[in-house]
Amino acid sequence: MPSVLAEPSLLPAFSKALDLSWISKMQVNQPAVLRRAQQIQARRTVKKEWQAAWLLKAVTFIDLTTLSGDDTSSNIQRLCYKAKYPIREDLLKTLNMHDKGLTTAAVCVYPARVCDAVRALKAAGCTIPVASVATGFPAGQTHLKTRLEEIRLAVEDGATEIDVVINRTLVLTGQWEALYDEIRQFRKACGEAHLKTILATGELGSLTNVYKASMIAMMAGSDFIKTSTGKETVNATFPVAIVMLRAIRDFFWKTGNKVGFKPAGGIRSAKDSLAWLSLVKEELGDEWLTPDLFRIGASTLLSDIERQVCNNPLSWDKLTSVFLRKKRKIPYWAMRTREKTSSDLPHCTQTSAFIQANPHLKWADWTRERECA
Amino acid sequence: MAATRTKPSAREIFTTLEYGPVPESHACALAWLDTQDRHLGHYVNGKWLKPEHRNSVPCQDPITGERLAICLQAQAEDVVAAVEAAGTAFENWSGLPGASRAQHLLRLAKMIQKHQRLLWTLESLVTGRAVREVRDGDVPLAQQLLQYHAVQAYTQEEVLAGWEPMGVIGLILSPTFSFLEMMWRICPALAVGCTVVVLVPPASPTPLLLAQLAGELGSFPGILNVISGPASLGPVLASQPGVQKVTFCGAIEEGRALRRTLAGKGAELGLALGAESLLMLTEAADVDSAVEGVVDAAWSDRSAGGLRLLIQESVWDETMRRLQERMARLRGGRGLDGAVDMGARGAAAHDLAQRYVREARSQGAQVFQAGAVPSDSPFFPPTLVSDLPPASPCTQAEVPWPVVVASPFRTAKEALAVANGTPRGASASVWSERLGQALELGYGLRVGTVWINAHGLRNAEVPTGGCKESGSSWSGGPDGLYEYLRPSGTPARLSYFSENLNYGTFGLAVPSTLPAGPEIGPSPATPYGLLIGGHFQAPGARSSRPIQDAQGNLHGYVAEGGAKDIRGAVEAAHQAAPGWVGQSPGARATLLWALATALERREAALTSRLERHGTELKDAKVEVELSARQLRAWGARAQAQGHVLQVAGLKGPVLRLREPLGVLAIVCPDEWPLLAFVSLLAAALAHGNTVVLVPSGACPIPALELCQDMAALLPAGLVNVVTGDRDHLTRCLALHQDVQALWYFGSAQGSQFVEWASAGNLKPVWVNRGCPWAWDQEAKGAGRELGLRAARTKALWLPMGD
Repeated sequence: MPSVLAEPSLLPAFSKALDLSWISKMQVNQPAVLRRAQQIQARRTVKKEWQAAWLLKAVTFIDLTTLSGDDTSSNIQRLCYKAKYPIREDLLKTLNMHDKGLTTAAVCVYPARVCDAVRALKAAGCTIPVASVATGFPAGQTHLKTRLEEIRLAVEDGATEIDVVINRTLVLTGQWEALYDEIRQFRKACGEAHLKTILATGELGSLTNVYKASMIAMMAGSDFIKTSTGKETVNATFPVAIVMLRAIRDFFWKTGNKVGFKPAGGIRSAKDSLAWLSLVKEELGDEWLTPDLFRIGASTLLSDIERQVCNNPLSWDKLTSVFLRKKRKIPYWAMRTREKTSSDLPHCTQTSAFIQANPHLKWADWTRERECA
Repeated sequence: MAATRTKPSAREIFTTLEYGPVPESHACALAWLDTQDRHLGHYVNGKWLKPEHRNSVPCQDPITGERLAICLQAQAEDVVAAVEAAGTAFENWSGLPGASRAQHLLRLAKMIQKHQRLLWTLESLVTGRAVREVRDGDVPLAQQLLQYHAVQAYTQEEVLAGWEPMGVIGLILSPTFSFLEMMWRICPALAVGCTVVVLVPPASPTPLLLAQLAGELGSFPGILNVISGPASLGPVLASQPGVQKVTFCGAIEEGRALRRTLAGKGAELGLALGAESLLMLTEAADVDSAVEGVVDAAWSDRSAGGLRLLIQESVWDETMRRLQERMARLRGGRGLDGAVDMGARGAAAHDLAQRYVREARSQGAQVFQAGAVPSDSPFFPPTLVSDLPPASPCTQAEVPWPVVVASPFRTAKEALAVANGTPRGASASVWSERLGQALELGYGLRVGTVWINAHGLRNAEVPTGGCKESGSSWSGGPDGLYEYLRPSGTPARLSYFSENLNYGTFGLAVPSTLPAGPEIGPSPATPYGLLIGGHFQAPGARSSRPIQDAQGNLHGYVAEGGAKDIRGAVEAAHQAAPGWVGQSPGARATLLWALATALERREAALTSRLERHGTELKDAKVEVELSARQLRAWGARAQAQGHVLQVAGLKGPVLRLREPLGVLAIVCPDEWPLLAFVSLLAAALAHGNTVVLVPSGACPIPALELCQDMAALLPAGLVNVVTGDRDHLTRCLALHQDVQALWYFGSAQGSQFVEWASAGNLKPVWVNRGCPWAWDQEAKGAGRELGLRAARTKALWLPMGD
């Protein structure tokens, strides 16, 4: 799993002097993009072995995320554990995938929880990178100075990927140079850490602005461009993604640099994740289908993928357990305090204690035992 | 695709991340074929018709070659049976109130909904088209068509008062057109009360299935009859007594041949020809979206034909790169696979494409092919042809599926000239983010459908059709309904075919004109000239033709026009066209009203001229008065023309424009020499056409009197009047390639010749089949049929959003 951006010496190659002529003429036709978005979802489907393999691949792209006011070290711990063991071992065995060391691409938390995550992952002995949101997430409406400081502190705490939000005001008022300068400063503040720039596309007003903001973010040296914070009313949508992917391709054609893409927010079902994979495959090609260049920011997606892999006819005949086929809305690592109190769910401290005591056991086994009891 | 390879494991796929097969089960299609014992006949009068001693052809899976069923080939007697059944059904069906017909159409829509899976698997299995396109595109649209036309049937009595259904309609489909093309045409026909006999090419079971579904509704067997047989049965179907209209969908050359064969055979002929489309990509376009437009137009299984792609030079390189990149991601394969973009269209389509590409290459073109498409025979990869020399034959020829021919242009004006220079005129799209430019190009293109920043959208409410060689038959929207209606009280169309007519010599020679005796009358008339390009000029032949009055005495001489004069007149009309089209309807109305006033000033002279030709004084006065009224009425009507459609599923309007035909030639009848001349002229001018007129042969003088006012009032070249031998002038006009439409009111033989000769540039023609008309009656002289014929429709799609 690549955790750090190559050598520091390569850093300048990823950023480029601002060239406004790359965006000045650009016009995106929204109705045409909407049609394309509709078609692309209907035109590519995968079934059987392909579906299972694609779903497992999708797992490796996930930035397993919790961004909540009530995050504590215990649920961060669970999150990290799930990142390390995203899919049940027995399921992986039936698909002959158990020796692939399947993990999610990263875990993504608030800056204050970075330490917890780094510690938990270290304890689990794995190198999954920790991503932190920063720069006044999600609104970005704080002073530049504190925003930059936020990045530095997160990096100090051990985050190797920083998800920054851009200042939407600058986009909406057309201050592209100022936007470029800000992201440049973010880039510098990140040092060797990956910079993922969140465009908050739901608040940019038009697809043309999405294209322009993408281009500026890439010119300023972002390693990834990301659709949304997950906190806007409109999150990752296909039309927006198409525009961003086209911008990434244009940037690649112009500079030879591959910039990654991260949709986030609202991606909940396994079916969605397949559509996102085929979207990237169609618009950018197979080279982009690696965790270096494609991430899915999601919190609840993983449980649905696990369920679907289990539902896959390939797994059916071999598995006796039907536990995972039961529809569960909320995965345990995303549980909040208020849900944790409900009767059928384990108490939080109990859970983490149990998991720490029995690292070989999977959540599913644990629950089954509990159910039997 | 690639089903022959050994199945990879999930572990391998995890690394390669390739697509796998997504086969759609076609068990239900096979089960349906089994109910027919894999032996398909025809569906006539609500029953399967499987006559004995008929030839049969196998219906094959185009990819595996597996024989799916045996299809019987119809013979003439089967056609007769089908037309008889349709004729019987017509009596009941047309007599029903519109609401009942609406109910029946809705039941059929429900029926399709119930059996949609069968429909799409069968269609995809047999034609090889991508099942996704049939399932998500064609089948829902078929239902939508039925629903829309049910509403039209419901409101028919109110909205379409004064019109009646034509009768039995023959529909001839060629193999490249899908069942959807049949739906586009049978829905309006059935809605207005016509009954239909469809001749489908051998081995096309989907139309038969549809007929069966309609038949199983029970109540009205015989309104939809489907027979399958060779193309040679087309003329047989068309010349059956009782068949009032024939609509043909197919290749341009076949349509031309059918037009010639059916000259004089009675049934009206509607042609919907060719499948090529055009895409114009300007530098102000969202290029990536336009590239998707190209995919929609040529490399998805939506369209049956290829694409002519015009790219502005400044974005040529960028566009070609994006196109090639996009092509590489297209997937071809078995149509029944849910994840392919392009299926296979059978050997014929493959060979056509292959031949075109080979020729293009030999003429010096660059050919680029890409995409994950199996390399064996029925499959053909997406193909991009560029650098074709402008004069090479392939540049002119129709582009076949799935080929795109790209050529550069420098300015929007040049693009328009190139686009309008092709002989075809079905559909085109314009890609530009500049509103002004997009609209100018959209209005300027001479095609039936224009999409702005989109391609290939269709909707039941929007008329679809074409112009030029693409034929002028319309389907969908109000225009689709009028295709199967005629003004109430019009007599049924009978054959007026004359075996003796020699097309080669009709009107070829002009009888010599000699001095015709002493001139008597109040003032011996000087020979009139020909009104060409705004002034009177002497005929090229420098001879005159005597005109006799009712008593057989010489009334005067008129100029003896010939081929050369017709050429001059058409040229003058072409020069005047842009100016006249650019006039606002208000300005046109003003001129027509001024002409009406001038006509009234000449009332005395005109009345006396008419009287001399044997018209009663009272009638002559009425004729002059009516003529002035016609000019005013059409002037007023010029104001209200096209309208805006609001289409489900599309944000933004669709404009239904009524555009002029261009240069319209009119051969006026002998009856009502002044009124008919003025009515035809006024309708044509009001709709923005420029005209070449041949006035009444027996009594041209009143019309020529009026010409003196026209020369003074109207812009030069707008109206050109040529007198002379009518057969000869008709011949010249009918064979002229730059005359864009022709109305002929004259002899039966002349009508037959006009129909035959119109096959040349496939100009729309309107003939009276030798029957005189009552021009003084509202229905004819000022009827909506005249207005309908005087302009052509264009649908302009304007999707919106930001």
